[in-house]
This record gives sequence, structure tokens and C-alpha cells, in this order.
Amino acid sequence: MKRLLFATVILLVSCKPPTPAEQMDAILSWVGSAIVLGNGWLRHTTPDTYTRQTLTLSHDQLRQIGAELLKSPPATIDSTELDGALTRSGTHLARMAQLVEARNSPGFNQVLDSLELDQKALKQLSDKIESSQ
Amino acid sequence: MHLVRDVLDKKLMDREDCPMGRVGGLVMHVGESGPPRVTHILVGGPTLWMRIHPALGRLSSALGQMWGPRRKEPAKIPWSRVETVGREVKLDVEGKDTGALDWEIWVARHIIEHIPGGGSEEEE
Amino acid sequence: MKKILQLSLGIITSVGGFLEIGSVTTAAQAGAQFGYKLLWAILLGTLCLIFLIEMSGRLAAVSKHTIVDAIRERFGFPFFFFVLLGTVLVAFMVLVAELGGIGFALQILTGIRFPWWALPVSFVVWLLMWKGTFSLIENGASLLGLVTVSFVVAALRLNPDWTSAASGLLPTLPDDDKSKYWFLAVSILGASISPYLTFFYSSGAIEDKWDRTYLPINRVIAAFGMTFGGLLSMAVLIVAALALRPKGIQVETFQQAALMMTTALPKWGFYLFALSMLFACFGAALEISLAISYFFSQGFGWNWSEDVEPSSDARFAFVYTLIIGFAAVPLMFGVDPIKITMMSMALTSATLPLAIVPFLFLMNDPIYLGKHRNGWISNTVVGVVILISFVLAVVSIPLEIMGG
Repeated sequence: MKRLLFATVILLVSCKPPTPAEQMDAILSWVGSAIVLGNGWLRHTTPDTYTRQTLTLSHDQLRQIGAELLKSPPATIDSTELDGALTRSGTHLARMAQLVEARNSPGFNQVLDSLELDQKALKQLSDKIESSQ
Repeated sequence: MHLVRDVLDKKLMDREDCPMGRVGGLVMHVGESGPPRVTHILVGGPTLWMRIHPALGRLSSALGQMWGPRRKEPAKIPWSRVETVGREVKLDVEGKDTGALDWEIWVARHIIEHIPGGGSEEEE
Repeated sequence: MKKILQLSLGIITSVGGFLEIGSVTTAAQAGAQFGYKLLWAILLGTLCLIFLIEMSGRLAAVSKHTIVDAIRERFGFPFFFFVLLGTVLVAFMVLVAELGGIGFALQILTGIRFPWWALPVSFVVWLLMWKGTFSLIENGASLLGLVTVSFVVAALRLNPDWTSAASGLLPTLPDDDKSKYWFLAVSILGASISPYLTFFYSSGAIEDKWDRTYLPINRVIAAFGMTFGGLLSMAVLIVAALALRPKGIQVETFQQAALMMTTALPKWGFYLFALSMLFACFGAALEISLAISYFFSQGFGWNWSEDVEPSSDARFAFVYTLIIGFAAVPLMFGVDPIKITMMSMALTSATLPLAIVPFLFLMNDPIYLGKHRNGWISNTVVGVVILISFVLAVVSIPLEIMGG
């Protein structure tokens, strides 16, 4: 009986809805992962397939979490600004995956620079959300 | 001898030192005169499940008659065949003749030996 | 000479066999989120495991019983069945996670997603069990598992501040996310103190026909082997703390976990991570499959040995064939091995008393151990750590739900 209770409780843990701050942390985690991965690919330390698949995964996760966050964005931030930052990041991630497939390092480097700017913008929004909680 | 401490759940070994399972239960004869005597050792599923709940024992018995070696009763070994009781219960019997290894033989012949590399139980 | 060889092999076994998906995932998540603050959980878990492993070997060498033999005989069938149910269910979940870990490692190497690897991986694990001997499995898998030492190399390359790291050996609360902190502490304890390791170790001691002359070697293997293993887990946490935390990267997926090594060891890090996980999870999958089969076979008194043909221990072989086959099923349907890992590690902590308390009783029973019974130190260390793990599990899991 106790074990059933624990199992139920653990299932509930994984279903607990995240807070906006946690959602932003997750988004930043994926953007950060893509940047580390991107730099690694440019240095030829990560294989193409893994890089492309992980960038695609980052893009999908960003879109999914972003969509959830935009359903009820925190009042302390401008939701249009958030939407814009998320859309730009998503576009850049998708583009990076395509450029890996095409093995276009110079193009990839440019988009990676843009993603780093996206990261700064998202970090500022995240700090605003955290300070209001 | 403490039957529960020294006999029940102990490993059974046959005359060739092959494991035969464990003591699942004991049959005792309560006569009109004299103390109760242990007459048989029981080995097998229904006896074990009965110790948790009688319904489980009945279910095990019913399932055991539908597939596998289809024993009607648990394996019963006369207490007179017990040689020594120590770390294990040593018996003066051939394990395969007691019925205690029916399931082992059935699984070996019907499942394991049909898989390449499984070997042959009769080669022992 | 034979004992010295056994000693070396024993330590190598412990080192190479220590890391698996549970310890890597929990340590990586802990390092990425809380820096060094959860090193104490690895220390506590490792300390407890040292005592538990030493006890397993001592029980086998002195009483010539495995832990499961002794639980069945001392406590009877109904109690044994209760322990079997709880322990095997959790061990099965860990097996699914390990097979998933192998699948993930192959996914990042080849690009082919892990569900497609579920069946081939399970088949190879099963084949090794079917055709291999205990020595081949124990030593072969563990020697390959030594590639996990690359985590130590990575940690040294990142040049940690050792004073800061050392401060993590004492529990200090984070500023926020306390419920996640305690949940991770519970998971780390569950990853370190895996009951299946004790069942496996005591069975191995019986297979290798240990007697009282092996007691000193047993102590050395337990102490040095598990210590090295614990250091490997700490290395994973340190690498994650230095490579991922500053960049805000959480370890939600296997793919993200790989990034800690690409940062620390740019040229070979990715491949070392993939190979480490591949071999470590492989070894763990073999150990868990054996441990579950040992549990059934020893408990029910069936013939069991990895050194004979399957038909000579038919039910033992049947059990591992079934469980390995069943373990592939959730993975084929794409169930996330990382989620299963975290669940199974927390559940292990919560069910530790079920497996370990009977074991402690046995270790104090003069019928089994004679003058080699536990001293007060062993009883205290194991008892306290199990109590801490259980209480933390009961408290932290609901706290995680309520949001701290």
C-alpha cells in the first residue's frame, strides 16, 4: 500500500505545473545548451547528427514551453516582447539545425551570434519575472 | 529440533547434492497417543502461497493444473528420507523422482531447450 | 596469489561497475542546479554502501548463505515474498532505465532514436547472460566500465576550487528550490545505495566460493572499490557544476548531459561520454538482471549459477529471459528513460528499509555470523543512513508536489 502511495506521489511530481520562473529557466537551459552545442560543432568536437538532432530538440522544447508560458504570461513583463524573443530564438534554432545539415560553418556562426543576443534578451525577461516572485 | 527455525524454508539437497527447492510446508500426524510427528515434507507452489493466504493457495493449485507439469498435489517427501538437518536438509532420494523438480524439468524441456544454446537437461 | 588477483579484480569491478544511468543523471542534475551543494549526499550514500557491501561479503563468506537465502530461511516465505515484491519491482524499473541508457548512448552516437535500440540492446544483454559465465560478465563489463574514469579526468581539467567543493561535503541549503534540492538528495541516496548491488555481491561471493579467509579482502574491496566509485559520482557532479551551471543548462535530457564532457574535454569529451554511458549502463543491466534472477532462484531454492548451461538452471534462465524481454517493452514505446531513472531512484530510497532492515537483523544473528556479527559502528552507520533516506523520501516527495 505504501509503495502504491509513493508511486502515485511521484507521478504527481512529474505532473506538477511549473511556475513562469521555472518555465523561463527551462527555456534558458535549452538556449544555453544550443549555444554550447553550437560552439562545440564549430570546433568539430560534436558529430553532425547529434548536433542537428539536439538543436531540433531545443527548438521543439522552446516552442512547447514558450507556448505554455504565453498562455498566461506574468504581468511584470511585456508579453509582446516575450513573444518576439521566443519567436526569434526558435527561428534561429531551426536555422542552425538546417545549417548543420548543409555543413555551412560561416552561416552557422552568424546565426549562433544572433542566438547569443536572444539569450541576453531572454535573461533580462527572466530576471524581471524572478524579481517579482 | 525447532521445526520452524531448523526445517521450514531450508534448502533441500538430494543424495547427489543437487538442490531440490525448499521446504514449503510440513505434514504432521496427530495420533491419539504420543506427541505429533512430522510425516512428510511438502515442496511446491500451492503450499507456499497458502502460507500467505488460502485463496492464493487455491489459485496456485488451479493454475498449476492448467499448464506446466499439471501436478494435482504438491510434491510430498516422506520424513523418513531425511538424512541430516543442518545448513540444508539432506535427503536420501533422487530429486527427479520426488516430483520436487517437475517444474524445473518442464521449463527446461518445453522452453529453455528450444532456444539455441540452451543445452539439454538430460545431459546432466 | 589468487587472492591478490581477486582483490585487484574486485576493486576494478567496483570502480567499473559503480557508475550507471542513475548515479550519472542524479549527480549531473545536482551539479547543474545546485553546484557543489549535494556532494554530501554522494558521500553519505557511498559510506553506507561501503558498509552494506562489506556486510554482504561477510555474510556469504561466514554463513555460506546469500542475503536472499538467509532472508527466506530466517523470516519465512510470506515475509520473503513481501520483500521480493517491493525490491524486484523497483529493480525492474532500474533495469528499464539502464537499457534506456544504453539506447540513448547509441542514439547520440548514431542518430538512430533509442526506441529502435530497445530490442537489439535487450537481445545482446540477454545473449551475454545466456552464453557468458559469471567471471566474464563481472570482469568484462567492469573492465570496459573503467572508461568512466574519464569523468575524473574531466573534473581535474576544469580546475575546480577544491575549498568550495569540500564545503559541499556538509549539507547546506540552497537559497531557493528547496523541495527540488531534497528530492535530488533522496534520488542520489537511492542511486548510491542500490539493494541489488548487495544481492549481486553476496551471490558472487558464493559463486567464487569465498570462506572466512576472504574476510580481509572483502573489507578492502568494499572500502576501496566503493570509495573510488563514489569519487566517480562526485566527479560527474563537479563537471556538471563547472561546465553546465554557469551557462544555466539543466540536465533534463540525456543529450544535454553529454554537453558537460564536450566542455571539459573538447576533443574527445563527446565520445568518452557516450562510451562511458554505454559500458556503464551495460554492466549495470547485466548486474540487475542477474540480481533479480538470483532473488527468485535463491528465494525459491532453484538451481542457480551463471557458470552452467541454461538448461541446468532452467527457471533461473527463464526469469532473466522474461525480465529482460519485458524491460524492452516500455522503451519500444518511447517511455523516457530519464524520467524512469528519477522515479526509480526516489522509489529505491523510499523502499530501502524493506530490503535493508531484514539484512541488518541477519548481520546481528549469531546463528549466521557467529563471532563475525556486526559491531555497533556498522549497525549505527547503516541504520542511520537508511532512516535518513526513508524520512527524506517520505517528506521531500510531497514537498516537491506542494512547491516547497
